Amino acid sequence: MTNSGAAQGSRKFKLPEETSVLVALIVLIGIVGALRPTFLKPTNLLNLAASYAIAALLAGCIVFLLSMGEIDLSFGWILNLSAVLAGISMIAGAPVWVGIVIGVAAGTAMGALNGVLTVFMRLPLIIVTLGTASVFQGVSLISNNSGSVVPTDERITQHVFFRALGGSIDTPVPIILIFVVLCFIGLHLLLHKTRFGYRILAIGSNPEAARLAGIPTKKIKIQVCALMGAVSGVGGVLFLGFRGAVDPSTGGQMLLPVVAAAIIGGTPLSGGAGTIWGSLIGAMIVGVIGVGVVFIGIDAVWGTLVTGLVILFAIGVDQVVRVRKKRAS
Amino acid sequence: MMKSRKARVGALALAATMALTAGGVASPAQAKEKKLTIGFVVHVVGNPFIQQIIDAAKMAAKDLGVNIKVTGPAGAEGDAQLTAVQNLAAAGVDGIATSVPSASMVNGLNAVIKSGIPIVQFNGLGEGVNAPYVGEKSTQSGRILGKMVLDKIGGTAAKGKVIVGNCYPGFPVLENRQAGVLESLKKAAGVTVVGPSDVKVDAAANFAAWQGLLAANPDALAMVGLCAPDVESIGKVNKAANNTKTIGAGYDLTAGNLEALANGSAHISLGQTPFIQGYLPVYILVDSIKNKIKINKPGFIDAGTEVVTATSVTEPFKLPALTFKDLQAMATSKTKTRKYYDPVVKGYIKNWKKNLKPVSDESA
Repeated sequence: MTNSGAAQGSRKFKLPEETSVLVALIVLIGIVGALRPTFLKPTNLLNLAASYAIAALLAGCIVFLLSMGEIDLSFGWILNLSAVLAGISMIAGAPVWVGIVIGVAAGTAMGALNGVLTVFMRLPLIIVTLGTASVFQGVSLISNNSGSVVPTDERITQHVFFRALGGSIDTPVPIILIFVVLCFIGLHLLLHKTRFGYRILAIGSNPEAARLAGIPTKKIKIQVCALMGAVSGVGGVLFLGFRGAVDPSTGGQMLLPVVAAAIIGGTPLSGGAGTIWGSLIGAMIVGVIGVGVVFIGIDAVWGTLVTGLVILFAIGVDQVVRVRKKRAS
Repeated sequence: MMKSRKARVGALALAATMALTAGGVASPAQAKEKKLTIGFVVHVVGNPFIQQIIDAAKMAAKDLGVNIKVTGPAGAEGDAQLTAVQNLAAAGVDGIATSVPSASMVNGLNAVIKSGIPIVQFNGLGEGVNAPYVGEKSTQSGRILGKMVLDKIGGTAAKGKVIVGNCYPGFPVLENRQAGVLESLKKAAGVTVVGPSDVKVDAAANFAAWQGLLAANPDALAMVGLCAPDVESIGKVNKAANNTKTIGAGYDLTAGNLEALANGSAHISLGQTPFIQGYLPVYILVDSIKNKIKINKPGFIDAGTEVVTATSVTEPFKLPALTFKDLQAMATSKTKTRKYYDPVVKGYIKNWKKNLKPVSDESA
């Protein structure tokens, strides 16, 4: 095939925008797999993917905020406090499903609070959540006297929710992965196939133009913050079921990998665009790097440097493919 | 055109391969021999005390002729650490030593143990993990520290404030130390405890927290920390405030902490023998794997407590007497450390099975 022929072909069939980051992921998996073939065992890949599922879910949701030109620093602590409240209520005697509802509702309320504060204080969400992150962490520490929440009652630990997420029920694919993929389908449809999603992208592109066009920007901001809180709450109860306990530090280190996953996935910080599936692939890239460093046996002292270099490499591959695609189109 | 694209992608792939393989791929000689591989997971990377544990683990691996893979999250978080343990298990290591700072790690670790990979815990105990634990007697060491502080500020007749700081509230071993310190301080009815306050792990945040606490309580008789960065921070805070009245006390024998004792800006530091906490878990794993000894139930092996002031050094396990200068030299020399602990390696560590106690001894 000639070059012009190739160009013609690419005009007819437009590759999805996530192609470039998918190529980067495949290259990374190929490299780690070539060096350590056991890495490619399906059971390994599924179990390892399950470990990164909650961070991936949060990455999928933070795309909404990034698309709107905002960023939330508090979602890790929303996750923590939601899980703590769910766990405490279960331990106090509430049925497990009620505990789950309490956790998700608490997350939604915390997210909505972020939204209300940012709208009424007329401050960027990043500044508001600098404060609320500490508030949520503080309430979490107070709620359980800075200890771990560990449900031990069989009524809780033998409940289908804990057994399914904790791996006591054998399934070909970890339940948490199935759940997160379903959430991703929902998030994708919400951002790209609904009026709500189009409005978010419009606000991110040009907030003033969106407002003049009649989009209720304040309401949408509050709704998106509440959505982030709700998904963080879901992440919290998933964590409780998956790990069987919540620690005072849970969620505290999630900010960087989650935001990195969304950005690596192709969502710009400037707003106006976003890709849910890209964030899933980005989360997988972050996961493969973390796993690859361990599989290959890179010493802890070198691990951070190598992680940084490989992230740069992944972004590099993404950029090369993007430029090629742009030129071809 | 195609050629240049291929070359670019090829170069990127090569660069990534080089990056990924730069740190620690087994050499061809190692690959030929079927050596055991031990995974070693710490709760935080880049902490001087944890690095002493890692150094000792590597010394054990060298002595025993096994490979070691050291990993851990940059910031202390149980979930990231558990994922590292699971990754090592999936990578096919023969055994794993890990600290357990979080209750949320317990189920995941037990699943790894159930899959047939032995685990030894060190430094941070996870209640319910079916594996032996190597560490200090945390409550007892707190009692020792509290008593030493009390002796320095006037004994049971002391009157005034003592500031207590905990860098990681909720971390079980630290909570035990705290309970021990408070138990000893309670013996002086006139002592009021300020805190325990969260003084953070990060060195800069730790210093700022102690600075604030002293500024708010300039008349404090003592500042007592429970973590590795505290003694150095307290020393710097005392020095900056030109304060010679407030006793500084805490844990671990890092070079910075020893310097604070040496210059008189801090006064007491308890060590928890990082050498034993790093060396012994690797030894137990290798011994149990080679000799098919089952270690899949909780147990406790005391790593001992070192009591250090600027004028005296008390070491556990009848180790040879040390001067403060010897200790300072050891804090920065792996060779001197290995040589000093040789009697422990040949005795206490070699006979680890005899020294394995019920896990309840840890908090007795």
